[in-house]
Amino acid sequence: MTEQDLDGLGPVDFLVIEFPAGHSTFTGEIAEELLNLVEAGTIRLIDAIVLTKDGDGVVDAMELSDAGELGALVELEAQLAELLAAEDVANLANAMDPGSVAGVLVYENVWAAPFASAARRAGGRLIADGRIPIQDIIASLEADEELEETGA
Amino acid sequence: MPLRPARVGRVGVVRAPVAKAAVVGTAMRPGPAPVAKAAVVGAAVTPGRRRRRI
Repeated sequence: MTEQDLDGLGPVDFLVIEFPAGHSTFTGEIAEELLNLVEAGTIRLIDAIVLTKDGDGVVDAMELSDAGELGALVELEAQLAELLAAEDVANLANAMDPGSVAGVLVYENVWAAPFASAARRAGGRLIADGRIPIQDIIASLEADEELEETGA
Repeated sequence: MPLRPARVGRVGVVRAPVAKAAVVGTAMRPGPAPVAKAAVVGAAVTPGRRRRRI
């Protein structure tokens, strides 16, 4: 990949989506929505694996292609870059509860690439990023309400 | 089924144990008016709806 190619690369994120034991109802909806995001050019799927953690905390990892019927994901699976290494598995599975199954997705935020490139061309540097949990927004709003009520 | 051999022996990209994130599904806690709470949060993040500071 040339420096010019790298300049056009969007930020790469990962998600670990846990399905607690007995709480998964796969209907293909997840695969369809993921495919929609890729086809819309919002993201590019770089890698995907499936993790299981048994009741004793023992972790197993498998390729998406070994996880059963892929449905809409067949086309995407064939194009995965397999960025994750075996040594990533333990770090990723650390967040999982015993008895759960999790899907790990690594993806490029294609939507952000032009903006990130423009920022770099203007001399800007990304020095921090993050996510604001909904819980924190609720806490902030509730604190505002309390202030309004008490006048403190 | 194990991971493909190509993944073994490579340097990983996730450099530290991942902590469990707050589960968004439980953000709207059961209460007297969870729907109303969702609406308030929705309004708070709607462009053009500035928060007022008293």
